[in-house]
This record gives sequence, C-alpha cells and structure tokens, in this order.
Amino acid sequence: MVFSSLTFLFGFLPLTLAVYFLTPLKWRNLTLLIVSLLFYGWGEPVYILIMFASIAIDYVHGLLVEKHRHDDKKARWFVVQSVIFNLLLLGFFKYWDFFAVNLSLIPGVNLPVLGLGLPIGISFFTFQTMSYTIDVYRQDAPAQRNIVTFGTFVTMFPQLIAGPIVKYKTVAAELDHREHTTENFALGARRFCVGLAKKVLLANSIGSLWDSALAAQSAGTLTVLGGWLGLIAFTFQIYFDFSGYSDMAIGLGRIFGFTFDENFNYPYLAASVSDFWRRWHISLTSWFREYLYIPLGGNRGGVGKTLRNIFIVWLCTGFWHGASWNYLLWGLYFAVLLVLEKYVLSNVLKKLPRMVKHLYTLFAVVVGWGLFAMEDLRQCGSYLATCFGGGNGWSGSDFYTLKSYGVLLVILVVASTTLGKSLWQRLPERPQKIAAPVLMALALVVCTAYLVDGSYNPFLYFRF
Amino acid sequence: MTKAYSRAVTALFCAFLGGMLLWSLLLPDRAHSDVENRTLAQWPAFSWEALTSGKFTDGVEDYLADQFPLRDGWTGLKARMEQAIGKTEFHGVYLCGDTLISKVETPDETLAEKNLGYVSALADKTDLPVYLGLIPSAAEIWSDKLPAGAESWDQRAYLQAAGQTNLPQINFFGALSAHADEDIFYRTDHHWTTRGAYYGYTAVMDALGRGDAILPESDFSRETVSDSFQGTLYSSSGIHTLRPDTMEFWAPDTGLTVTSWRSGSAAEESLYDRNYLDKKDKYSAFLGGNQPLCVIKNENIPDGGKLLVVRDSYSDSLAPFLAQSFSEVHLLDLRYYHASAAQYAEENGIDAIAVIYSVPNFVTDQNVVFLGQ
Repeated sequence: MVFSSLTFLFGFLPLTLAVYFLTPLKWRNLTLLIVSLLFYGWGEPVYILIMFASIAIDYVHGLLVEKHRHDDKKARWFVVQSVIFNLLLLGFFKYWDFFAVNLSLIPGVNLPVLGLGLPIGISFFTFQTMSYTIDVYRQDAPAQRNIVTFGTFVTMFPQLIAGPIVKYKTVAAELDHREHTTENFALGARRFCVGLAKKVLLANSIGSLWDSALAAQSAGTLTVLGGWLGLIAFTFQIYFDFSGYSDMAIGLGRIFGFTFDENFNYPYLAASVSDFWRRWHISLTSWFREYLYIPLGGNRGGVGKTLRNIFIVWLCTGFWHGASWNYLLWGLYFAVLLVLEKYVLSNVLKKLPRMVKHLYTLFAVVVGWGLFAMEDLRQCGSYLATCFGGGNGWSGSDFYTLKSYGVLLVILVVASTTLGKSLWQRLPERPQKIAAPVLMALALVVCTAYLVDGSYNPFLYFRF
Repeated sequence: MTKAYSRAVTALFCAFLGGMLLWSLLLPDRAHSDVENRTLAQWPAFSWEALTSGKFTDGVEDYLADQFPLRDGWTGLKARMEQAIGKTEFHGVYLCGDTLISKVETPDETLAEKNLGYVSALADKTDLPVYLGLIPSAAEIWSDKLPAGAESWDQRAYLQAAGQTNLPQINFFGALSAHADEDIFYRTDHHWTTRGAYYGYTAVMDALGRGDAILPESDFSRETVSDSFQGTLYSSSGIHTLRPDTMEFWAPDTGLTVTSWRSGSAAEESLYDRNYLDKKDKYSAFLGGNQPLCVIKNENIPDGGKLLVVRDSYSDSLAPFLAQSFSEVHLLDLRYYHASAAQYAEENGIDAIAVIYSVPNFVTDQNVVFLGQ
C-alpha cells in the first residue's frame, strides 16, 4: 500500500488512527506493530514471513551482542552475523537475478533467473536493522529486550517502504517513552498534507512529461529541446516524489510521537555536487558515512585509501538504488565528480560566482538523473546522445509541451527553493494561523480529486 | 500552537479522512457507471487463496476506488485544475475551445497494414465489388482546431496507403472536409453527427456510382431529439463544463422493416430506439446500439439493390440514410459476428459489399482478420 492511494487515505489511515489512539498507552507499540504488519502484508501477504524472520534474527543478535559485551571478539562476530544475514536477505531478493544474468555470461556458469518479486521496502528495513546491531555494539543504544518494541521499530509503517532510513539510536528512547500531544498530531498532519501534495500534485503531474519524452525517444522523434525537457521533468519528478514521501513519513511519525530526522534540505539549491549529497536523501548518505565510509577508514589513510573508500561507498550507493548496471554507473559518475571536486576543482569552485556554481551543480545532477532514469544502457546512451546534439533542435510539439507544462514547471522551480518557506515565515501570526488549515483542506481535497481521477477508467471503446 | 488550535487542525484532518470513509461505507454500492460505461467493482469474495495471492487486497482497492463517493465530481475538479494551469489534453482528449477532439495515438503499424490486407483478401474471395470506406476522425478533419503543436497520428497518410490497394474507395475524407465548417462531429462525442453521416451517405452513393440518386438534404425533415447529449469525450476527458450536444434524427422510420439479431434470434425493431434518449448513452438511440447483425428492408424501392456493410458504430447513424436508397442494407459487426462475410453475402443475394470504419477503429481493431475467411 502506498500513502498516496485512496485505500490508505480513506481506509487504512483513519482506521489505524482510531485504533491507535483508543489503545491504552502501554499497548500502543503492539497496535503499531500489528497495523504495520497489515500495511506490509497488503500487497504481498506472503512476504510478512520475511518480516518475522528479520525481527527474530536481529532481535536475538542484539541481545547476543550485549551479552558478550566484554568479549569483543564474540560481540563482533555476532554483529558480523547479523550484517551477513541482512545482506544475504537483500542480496537474494534484490540482486540474485542481476548476478545470475551477468555471471551466466561467463562460459560454464549457468545460474537460474528466479524472477522473484522484490519485497517492498527491503532496501530500507535491512539497512535499519543493520544499524540496530551496530548501534548496540557501539553502545550508542541499549539492546531492546522487548520483542514487540523491537518489532515496532523494524516494521513501523510510516517509514517502512520508502524511508527515511531511521537509525535505531535515533528512535530508541521514543520507542519506549514518547509523547502523544495534539500539537504533535496537528504538526504531523500538516506535514503529511505537504508531502501528499508534493507527491500527488507535483511529482505525478510532471511525471507524464518524462513519460512522453521516453515515448518520443522510442518513436525516434525526440529532439534536443524535448530531451532536456524530459530530463528536467524527471529531475523534478524524483525530487518531489521522494521528498514528498519523506514528508509524509516524517508527518505520520510525528502523529505517533516519533521524531525522524530530515531527509532532504533543498538539494537543488546546492552549490556543488558534494553539497548536493549533503542535502539529498540525507538518511542514506549518512548511513553509508557512518556504517561504511568511516569504518573503512574514511579520509584518514592518505589519498590512496580515501580514493578507494570514496569509490567503494559510491558504487554501493549506486547499487543500493537498483540491481542494474546503470545504477552502478550512476554511483561511479558521482564518485568521479566528488573526487574531482575534492582534489581538483575545490579552488576553482571557490572563485566562481554563485550562479555559475549552481548551474554547474544542476547540470551535473540533471545529467546524473539521465543515467539513473534509464535501466537499459543502450536506450540511456541514445537518449543522452540526443540531448547533446544528436537530434533535431526542436519541433512544434515541444512548444505544445512547454505551453502545457509551463505553469507547472514554474511552480516546481519555486517549490524547489526556499522562497515559499521564507514568504510563509514573513506572514504575521494571525493570517498564518488561518491560512494553514485552509491550505491543508485544499491540499486534501485537490489530492483526492487527482487520486480518484487516477482510478477513473472509462471503458468507452466498448462501443467504439 | 495553542492547544485549542492544535485540536482544530487535528479535527479537520481526521474529519476529512474519517468523514470520507464513513460516507463511502454508508453510500449504497453502485453496480454500473453510466459516465464510464462499465460495471463497477464490488466487495471481493474472501478466501485464503485469494488473500495469499494478493487478489483479495487488490479487489478491495478496486472496490474502494470504484465506489468512492462523487467519483464524477472529483474527476471534473481535476480537469478544472489542469485547465487552470494551461493544460489542453485530458486523458487523450484535446480541449479545443468548445469542442473536444480525441487524440489518435500512433497505432501498431503491422496491425494497421494487415487490416488493409484482410479487406483485399475479402475482395479476392468474392466476385462482388468490395468498397473500402475509412472515415477520418475529427482530429484529422478539424486538425486546424487542435492546439498548436498538439500531436495526433497522421490519418491522411494512412488513407493514402489505403488508396494504394486495388480496392475502390469511398471518399469520406473529401465529403467531410468539404463541409469542415459545419457541425459534422459531435463536440462531446467521437462519432459524426447526423449531418456528418449524411455527407458520409453522399460519399457512399458517389462511390457506388449512384451519385444522381442521392437524396437532397431538403428531402429530410430534421427532428431535434435531444439537446442534452454528453458523449464519450465528455466522459473520458473529465471536462464537464461544455454545452451539451444536440442530436437529430433526419431519415424517417416509416415503411421499413428492421430486423436485429442481438442474441442469436431475430427481433423486429426500428431505426431509432428512443429509450436511449433518456439515458447517458444517447448515441445508441441509432439502431439501438451494438448488435452482431441488423437487416433493414425498404419495400418502397424494390430495385434499390442489396448492400452489405461491414462496420463499426459510425454506421449506426449512417444506416438510416442508406435505408432510403437501398432495398436492403445488411449491417455486420465483426466484433460479434465471426462467420464468413463472403459466404453471408452469397447466401443473401448481396449486390455490393462496403467495409466502413472510422480510421482510429480500423487501425486498432483485432477483428478485421475475420474478413479473410
């Protein structure tokens, strides 16, 4: 189930809220666990079993790590076991087919392609549970003795399927004691509405422009202008889709009394690629920094080791996004850019005017999305070739596209900046207080219209 | 935030979500949507198998979406929002001033080509003359009304390809484009109007070499039967703000015997089924809508010849005109009639066969293959 669906908004969510707040405080984790399992099992009921296995194994390992606290070798071994279990889980369900297809290219090797459906959110929850045993080992958080509470952490539906990746230590205290205030509820609900509007009104709407660019490419009618419009559309689509989803997660978390860290910080305002990665999907970058880059030695072992670590981390980051070569390429692309910025461009970038730095960053990011968006490398290559001059400059239909999406594009540009926020903060308190619920109601109504329209499926060719 | 204010915001949020949930629970389930012209999903039957396979939960999602309160109102609201930000295409329909025009997508080229081949195959099978009549849709005839730069597949190029076959052609393109400034297509439906069908009739008569027998427009007494027709494009676009279409009957229903085979057995019917005029699907008032086979006999013109029309729904409104000039018009719909058309023509003493389709239907229809048998 996704948040931006009628089933969630007008079925699951109101029922869950009712049950949760009617449950006595003591039992609320159990309630949250049960509804989260229902949420998870909704699309693929059988995969609930993976959830149970994951909870049980990581729960036990947390306790084992704590028990052997004084025998570091043993404690480490249990951490390694838990990490291996999670990576195997992820590896099997997400990457098996990729390896099977590619390794079978080697003569003599013949691995079957299984075509298993990817369990939803597996990339997120395996990373969260890995953070748990590591946090316990590092004594950043105590082991969780209550399996219901631990299960609640693993399955918590607000961030289960698309993050943010919540580290155990961030919510450890709140899992046991958290405050349910009406203020938290109101602020959470408001945040949820912002996220819903970003996802449904902005991301989904601009997504159709990207789709039509792809269609033009396969029909062979893509132009240079059309190609860039498509890439820009995807750039907006992925940001508003993902950050909208994070907003909804953070808002829902807040309703239930949890404080999740922010996941985005106006990434398209970044002044360099490294700045971009401090602002984009923060929970993932910080996860890799904390649990991979720094343990590998970070930048403390000289240039050679730093380079190695950067490349390892970014290949992993790329591969985490999907089991396909283009994601690896995408990770590599950013590794190269980050290394260049670190060792070559840093002095040049400092001297450049702000505007140029922003343009350079946006250009690098947009081209990066081109690598990210097309899994078929041949298609990806020919699309990007068109963008860089391998096609007609423009066509009449590009201007039709511009006219149809012009207003939306302007809205998207503005929404990517802090302009809206600073205008909002400049508003005196009273109008702000009136405007907020009005905008919330408006967002809910309009989003509902878009969602119902999405399910609207006239069968008109029944009679030609 | 003060406590009272927080409470108000919380209440607003819960009231909207919970309110819509309650409303959709209390609202009686609908079996059918007239606007969408389809049956709506009902609550799915529960079984363990359905649950584990995910079918049950999918069914619940479909149910909730289909039974959502005020479905048509929400779609209308979305269309208005899109209109407000400068969109002119709505679910594959262009809004062109006060007219809706359906976009024609680029079809599967092999199917489009094959379908022409099947008509030629029919001509090879029979000694009767086989005419090919492809009716360009509004997107072609009214292409100047489309928003600047808006794409629609080139139907004219396809008509030229059709002309390359050895089949004699019915020149609908010429007949319609000569009257492009008249109301020849509905503004909210993808069919031609009765006036459009009349020009279509003149094209058929010309092609069959009976141009001198064309009944002039003045011979018909035009009757406005509805001024509240909101057609298929009204439904699929979600644009609900346009003035409804007017529907007319021109040809008289007298002196004809209309026999319909709707469910295997013959039934006496008439050119028009006025019951449909009170429903959403008003276009079905012509001949009473879809049927495998319909035969119209006109005893007043015993030597008018017998015409077999292999057709789509455009012929529902064309048939009343043809019935005035032929002693027998046989209408055969390949979606429901899969036996040999050549054999049918032979058994019924047909004089000429006309394959008449609108271009968008012809290039996507999977049933044209039955002509070749």
